[in-house]
Order: sequence, then structure tokens, then C-alpha cells
Amino acid sequence: MLQAIPGRWAALLTALFFCSAQGQVEERAKSCVACHGADGNSVIAGTPSIAAQPKVFLENYLVMTREGIRGTQVMQALLKDVPDKEIIGLAVYFSKLKAKVSEGKTDTALFNKGRDIAARNRCVSCHETGFRGKEQMPRLAGQREEFLAEVMVQYRQNKRPGGDTLMSAALYGIPEADFKALAHYFSRLK
Amino acid sequence: MKKSVLTIAAASVLAMSVEAALAQDKPKPPPAWQQGKPAAMADSKLAPVPGKMTETPASEIPIDKLKLPKGFKAEIWATGLVGARAMTLNDDQTKMWVGTRGIGRVYEVTNEGDKRTVKVLAEKLTQPTSVYAKGALYVFAIDKVLRYDNAAKGAAGQPVDMTKAFDLPPEQHHNWKYVRFGSDGKLYVPFGAPCNICVPPTAEYAQIRRYNLDGSGKEVIATGVRNSQGFDFHPKTGELWFTDHGRDWLGDNGPEDELNRLAKPGQNFGYPYCHAKGIKDPDIAKDKKDACKDVTMPVTTMGPHAAVMGLHFYTGDMFPKEYKNVAFIARKGSWNRTKKFGYDVVTVKAGDDGKGAKITPFATGFMDPKDNSFWGRPAYLAQLKDGSLLISDEQLGAIYRISYSAPAKK
Repeated sequence: MLQAIPGRWAALLTALFFCSAQGQVEERAKSCVACHGADGNSVIAGTPSIAAQPKVFLENYLVMTREGIRGTQVMQALLKDVPDKEIIGLAVYFSKLKAKVSEGKTDTALFNKGRDIAARNRCVSCHETGFRGKEQMPRLAGQREEFLAEVMVQYRQNKRPGGDTLMSAALYGIPEADFKALAHYFSRLK
Repeated sequence: MKKSVLTIAAASVLAMSVEAALAQDKPKPPPAWQQGKPAAMADSKLAPVPGKMTETPASEIPIDKLKLPKGFKAEIWATGLVGARAMTLNDDQTKMWVGTRGIGRVYEVTNEGDKRTVKVLAEKLTQPTSVYAKGALYVFAIDKVLRYDNAAKGAAGQPVDMTKAFDLPPEQHHNWKYVRFGSDGKLYVPFGAPCNICVPPTAEYAQIRRYNLDGSGKEVIATGVRNSQGFDFHPKTGELWFTDHGRDWLGDNGPEDELNRLAKPGQNFGYPYCHAKGIKDPDIAKDKKDACKDVTMPVTTMGPHAAVMGLHFYTGDMFPKEYKNVAFIARKGSWNRTKKFGYDVVTVKAGDDGKGAKITPFATGFMDPKDNSFWGRPAYLAQLKDGSLLISDEQLGAIYRISYSAPAKK
């Protein structure tokens, strides 16, 4: 029966048998991957990929969502009363998965425009070389395009619940058309 | 560990969204990365140090790495207070409350002599702190002031919403508040500059105010204060001494943080034009003559990017005599600096008038200069009745107790 299940799921199920604490994490991860993709790379519009996000970013995001000060209502309900050790387990698990490049055609002109805007706005100084994220700063490379564009608008309007006000300030004055270019660029990076 | 205060949560979410909507209409400050960051440092990747938002058990706290002067001892006093910042105690010290920043909680610690229990008193608040005054606990968040009349009895219940009376400005940046209750019966509250370096958007920022307990009688007592994160009243003069963070992005060596003394209400401490001991700001004060005119200079500078936090004048009898009335200051430690600085508690010995200040390291070892790593970030100080000193560690969500016993004579 295990052969019929994709490799990562097989590994998940095997782990369940051998280690109960880890098992809890794997079990919990199932409710994450239902939306965020079996390998942490989301195929659902508006739902972010979480594979290869920095561990600290994931940990902070999950804790603040559990506390009801970040995230969506669905996420808050899923995380209600989840103990720290499982949150740390989830963060470690998803931080180790590989990120994929977003699907779809690359528009070279838009990609280049996004690259220039990112350079001008020094996004790399926090989001790290290759935009792979660092500590509490999320990975942008390979993230879903429409998600990035939407989030940037939310940040700029101070409407991202629990979002860092420094991120909002970093986006003040940047027009929405530029967000589209930035989102296209980041989503196409490995 | 959980204690829900759902109605407060709902109210605070509502208030936040209304506030966010209002904020749309105001002019925006320049992006954070741009504020005062010179072209030469444009590619710098220095960024704020990430906090830890999960619990750290006592077994994972390397308390043995703390270094103290001879005769002093450190022990773990309480754990499980993720993001622990300022501590406030009731009169008999059976209860302590501890504020946080990002995680939005105020903890209630019940002190039963040799053990402590920790629970969450309030949650889902925006950067809350708390202060105990005249039998009640006051919680100050960015957008909220709540009074718990029965907190000391361990039955906090629903708080009284005092927000309206305190007239809090909306910006969050540098606006976490350290609040103290003075012997004059007033609450002392800082309002930081909502930027790294800027002329504040309104006259509500970069100052310290005091209020009556009911929020009336608002008075700005100090201006030009960029980001004060701690203060105490001098045990002999009663004057307010306060810490203040220097601005970022002017290089590894300055401008240094400050320890200031308010000799009379209304003094100006220089921000945004004049930093440390008279450094004219290269961005804001470029064309300004007399940038430091009428500015009160600090008692002492406290080191570059040190992040000076809690300040406590030691008044106990446990420590040796030379510590009596000496200021203990927690330096949470730098981020805007290539080599880490601070991550310690120091003493500042000075005359009652602030003259002749001398800084001496007291608790070190939170940071390892060899590899630029750290494990703890000392944030605030509190004194127990036996004269021992508590230090809160924001990074590991713990409180350490420092005690002294004279080394045995040979």
C-alpha cells in the first residue's frame, strides 16, 4: 500500500510508527499540506507556499496566528491550543522542504522591471541574497505571484493583520503596478 | 497557561482596523530602509535581531554562562514568559506582571517564596506593558489603556477601559511603552519617535509625559527623547533618570545611547537634531545652526547601538554598600552594528547631580564576542524585598535572580 503513496507521504507515515512526538508533527502537517501543497509548494491561488521558509519566520508566524494576532480565521482555528513544541516541529519540517519556482510563463520585460524595482528598494537587505529569507524575514523566491502582489497591497495599506509595521513603511509610495512586477520577479526565482 | 479575554480581543481588533483606515489619510513617512541610511551603507544587511516566540524550558537556559562580580550568584527565577519585558510587582510582592511586545501578552506571576506559577492575564494586545499603582494594574498597549482593579487578588476579571482619557497617538514604531508610577501619584509614559530619524509627524511623539491615574492632567515633561525604554526615580533627589536609544545607520560607533537626568520638567534632550553628547544630526540638522542649543546633555553615553532598556537604582541591603543608590542598566544589545555590543547589565555610579558617571559591567556572558553570538537579551530589572535583583530576559522569556553573599573570610 505504501508504494501507492508518493515518497514524502510514505516517509511521513513511516515516521508516525517510530516516533510519537515527531508523529504528532507529521500528523499536524497533514492539515497544512491540504492547502499549502503536499510538498509545501501551494497550487491554490491566494494560498502561499511554505516550503523552505526560514524556521524562525514560520515559528513566529504560527505562534502569532495561534495567539489570534496574525493570519486568517481558518489558520487561527487550526492552530488553536497547538503547543510550542509542535509549532517548532512544523517550522523545522517545512523549512527543510524544497521550494519550487512558480508555474506559468515568464514575461521577461516584467521580470526585469521587477528586478530593478527590488534593487532600488533594497528588498535584499532583509530578505537575503536570492530572496531566500533569513531568520524572521520570509522567503520571497518562488512564492506564488498573486499572493505576493496581494500581500504587498495589504502591507502598504496597513491591513495585514499582525504584519510588521516596518514592512508597511518599506512599501509606502510604491504603486500597485510595481507590486505586480515585483511579484512576477520574485515568483520566478529559484 | 491560557486565559481568554475575548471581549477585549474583539474590541482591540475593531480598534485596530478603524485606526488602520484612518491612517490611510495621513502622509506617510519615508520607507524604513531609507530613513537615515546613507548611500555608503545602502548594501548593508544589518537587520533587527529576531526574537524567540516559543517557550524555553529552564533546562535549555545556559545560566552558568552568566558572569558576575565575586560573591554574586545567578539563578533561574521564572520561565515560560515568552518575550518577557518590564516587570511590576504588587506591594507585598506576591504578584508580578510582565509585559511583552510582539506576542501581545501580559503575564501574571504568582510568587510563592520558593516557586513561581505563570499564567496569561491579558492577550491579543498590541505591544502591552503594565504597571501596578495604588492597588490596581494598568495595562498600556499602543492603542489601549486597561485598568484591572482586582489583579492583586488574582481575580483580574474584566478591566475598565481607560483608553479615551490617555489620548494615545496611533504609530507603533518605537511606541512600546515603559510606564512607571511616581511618588507624586502620577503615571510616567514615554512616546517614542515613530521612525529612525525624522522630524516627528505630529507633536505627540519623541517625549515623556505624565498623567494622573485617571488619565487627566496630561503634561509633557521631557521633549527630544527618541526612544526611552526605561526609567527610575533617583532615591535621594526623586528626579527622573531615563535611558534613550541613539539613532541607527550612522556607523558602528555611534551616536551612542544615553542615560539622562530630568532636573526640571520641560527639558529638551535633543532629538532629532542633536544626539549623544552634542552630535549634530547629518540628515535632519545639516543646515541648522545651533542644533544642540538648549539641549540637556546626558549624564553619560551608554555605548553605540547598545539598546539601553531598564534602569533601576539599587536601594536594598543585600548587595555590598558600594552598590547602594547605584543605577543598574540593562543593555539588550545591538543589531545596527557589525560587532555585537551590549547584551549585559552594567552599573552607572554618578553624583546625585549626574556628574562623574562611571560605567562598570555587572552581568555579562549573554553574548560571545568571539563568534558574535548571543543567547539572552537582558531587558528589565526589579528588586525584591530581600534585596536581590531580578533581570528579565526577553530572548528566552525568563527571569533570573541575582543574590549576594559575602565570600567566607579565611
